[in-house]
Amino acid sequence: TIKKEGADSLSLSLAGCLHCTSEVSMPPVSLTIASPTNIAVIKYWGKRNSKLNLPINSSVSVTLNQQDLRTVTTVCASRDFGKDRLWLNGKEEDVSGNKRVQAVFKEVRAYAGDLFDLKSGHLLVKRSEWPEMKVHVISTNNFPTAAGLASSAAGYAALTFALAQLFAVPKTVNLSTIARQGSGSACRSLAGGFVAWDMGSKDDGSDSSARQVAPASHWPELQVLILVVSDSKKTVSSTAGMDISVDTSLLLAHRAAQIVPERLKQMESAYLAKDFAAVANLAMQDSNQFHATCLDTFPPIFYLNDVSRAIIGFVHAFNDACGEVRLGYTFDAGPNAVLLVLKEHITQALGAILHYFPPRAGCDVGYVNRADLYASARATALPDGLESLYPLTPMPSAVRYVYHSDVGPGAMIVDDDESLADASGMPKVISASESNKTCVSSNVPAPLRSLQVRVLSTAAISVAFLFGMAVLRTAHK
Amino acid sequence: TIKKEGADSLSLSLAGCLHCTSEVSMPPVSLTIASPTNIAVIKYWGKRNSKLNLPINSSVSVTLNQQDLRTVTTVCASRDFGKDRLWLNGKEEDVSGNKRVQAVFKEVRAYAGDLFDLKSGHLLVKRSEWPEMKVHVISTNNFPTAAGLASSAAGYAALTFALAQLFAVPKTVNLSTIARQGSGSACRSLAGGFVAWDMGSKDDGSDSSARQVAPASHWPELQVLILVVSDSKKTVSSTAGMDISVDTSLLLAHRAAQIVPERLKQMESAYLAKDFAAVANLAMQDSNQFHATCLDTFPPIFYLNDVSRAIIGFVHAFNDACGEVRLGYTF
Repeated sequence: TIKKEGADSLSLSLAGCLHCTSEVSMPPVSLTIASPTNIAVIKYWGKRNSKLNLPINSSVSVTLNQQDLRTVTTVCASRDFGKDRLWLNGKEEDVSGNKRVQAVFKEVRAYAGDLFDLKSGHLLVKRSEWPEMKVHVISTNNFPTAAGLASSAAGYAALTFALAQLFAVPKTVNLSTIARQGSGSACRSLAGGFVAWDMGSKDDGSDSSARQVAPASHWPELQVLILVVSDSKKTVSSTAGMDISVDTSLLLAHRAAQIVPERLKQMESAYLAKDFAAVANLAMQDSNQFHATCLDTFPPIFYLNDVSRAIIGFVHAFNDACGEVRLGYTFDAGPNAVLLVLKEHITQALGAILHYFPPRAGCDVGYVNRADLYASARATALPDGLESLYPLTPMPSAVRYVYHSDVGPGAMIVDDDESLADASGMPKVISASESNKTCVSSNVPAPLRSLQVRVLSTAAISVAFLFGMAVLRTAHK
Repeated sequence: TIKKEGADSLSLSLAGCLHCTSEVSMPPVSLTIASPTNIAVIKYWGKRNSKLNLPINSSVSVTLNQQDLRTVTTVCASRDFGKDRLWLNGKEEDVSGNKRVQAVFKEVRAYAGDLFDLKSGHLLVKRSEWPEMKVHVISTNNFPTAAGLASSAAGYAALTFALAQLFAVPKTVNLSTIARQGSGSACRSLAGGFVAWDMGSKDDGSDSSARQVAPASHWPELQVLILVVSDSKKTVSSTAGMDISVDTSLLLAHRAAQIVPERLKQMESAYLAKDFAAVANLAMQDSNQFHATCLDTFPPIFYLNDVSRAIIGFVHAFNDACGEVRLGYTF
């Protein structure tokens, strides 16, 4: 059962793993969840405590709709597993050496309770049994890591939420303080809509947690366009970068102490009032200020590139031409632009974007994740005066692809037919489609293409087929 | 005579204008000077008073050698000229509508004195005659304006200095307060070597002036490499840009009040001590912080492009490879 807002009940199935092999004496207990990514509009950048991921300022974000961008995570627990294991996007990661993954496992396990099957009421795992059971975590993002779309946030939120459901952690436990220890911004992905991460003041971080300011249903007109920018340059990771910034940027300390608190209040008010211009202006200013502190870091950190700057210039010119603020931008630790826009202006905005940032010649298909939106945007005229305000030669290929999304729910349990694990609790074998040289391949992110499940046995055909279809339907909606 | 250190003496010639035409009954009095450009290592960005070009923080710069980059300015004065005129790089500019040029003319004229020919001792122009005489200013940079190499600074310094010599302004008058009114950073081009522009605190700007911290001879080993980057994009002018920054950047006010004063002290000490690493590090940090405040402006101002950033990355890598700071950058 797919839940729209967080997780209210458990839906576990003893038969979750259909392909029982002789390796496993009893099928692993298994669960599959999906977690969204989020985009901060008042930015988190800098820690006062690295070990616990305690920030120097509070932050607030919008949770993006899982229909478009999400992390699916299957967790399987079994007495027969030798150790905890983790696979990310098909590749096994080192669990034992990863302090952050360890922290999440440890924190969640501390709250483990008795696990009951909701349908049957049957006791599946007693609290005292959990220490004997190891966990396999299989996680896949449906968006490329290289796209810089906050995969850590989605990933650690997914891990935390999945383990918490599996270990039957009581609902009273604040999971965001645990997800935070995996990756700071992950704490904001557990809830949907508009989510604040209160920095807290305690040394143990127990009050550094996320809360929902407004659910997704508060403002359905608010949408986003994510412009994924081609960038071959490796940039500094957020984790490393923010430490250097805290150490070297004199402007950052001032920002955190004197500027952000006031902006947060303004942003929360503006969002609750559905004041788009105020929200957009604050988001733009805060994104710029975050990047300013990166430039004030020594050595300086550059996340924006010339295309990012061209997009920024475009947004200001578009708003000037329209005579009001209809677009806002925000950039995380990478060159990709997340544009905020109201539904009523989306075709006009996207049409203008396509004019200045078109796909490579002949590569229209798949450039935008929604073909119908792409078509109507192409047919929409530019606002009057935009070309004279922004006489920029169109830059084909500067933007790799465009995602349209809106604000959505937080982490949720999903049906077992989305499970990424086989009966023995190992990652399902999936074959990547033949990569061809067409524009469709180059436009559509790889993980989406590769989620075409290869059928392993007759018994699995219907499940796999359903799984594949569900993913395809999701991807092309 | 090209002077390496500001201007010490006048060199005038009655025959300055070789191509006298019949329009002119008496040859104009004429003078030619050369003025350098300067590169700030602790940046000026933002005014507390636009009219007088009073800055929100002090700044300090190195004056570049005129052998490579300079503005040559000839000024001619004659009773027969109908009005003041100005040519920049061959193109006549509007003097009457340009408030800053007007300010410099007016300020310098206020101090005009008797002009004597140094060689002959002959009185060329009496103080009381100056109001009747209009001036032609002909100025040329030997570097392209589009290169962004502080041509305003060199230009207004040249204008101020040239007019001051022509009008026989006494040496006691602080010319930097006049050049400053043309273009803020111009005040730092009147002196050579390492020059500070003290922001001052008076409303009339009389204490907002430049002083030489160290002459060029203090540190001959210090050199510069200017990498002129191709850029077709028109960017926001300094004058307009710094106003928007003052109005919209919350980080800028903090920089000016809390960060720059300390950095200036450190920079002056480091320069006097010829501590290259310290000077270079401070210069890099201050350049970055200036550009950070531009990014914090709304709408944001971008002066650095991808090539600029590549150069920055290169400098850091070069220093790492050498195991010490051998290069510093400022933009």
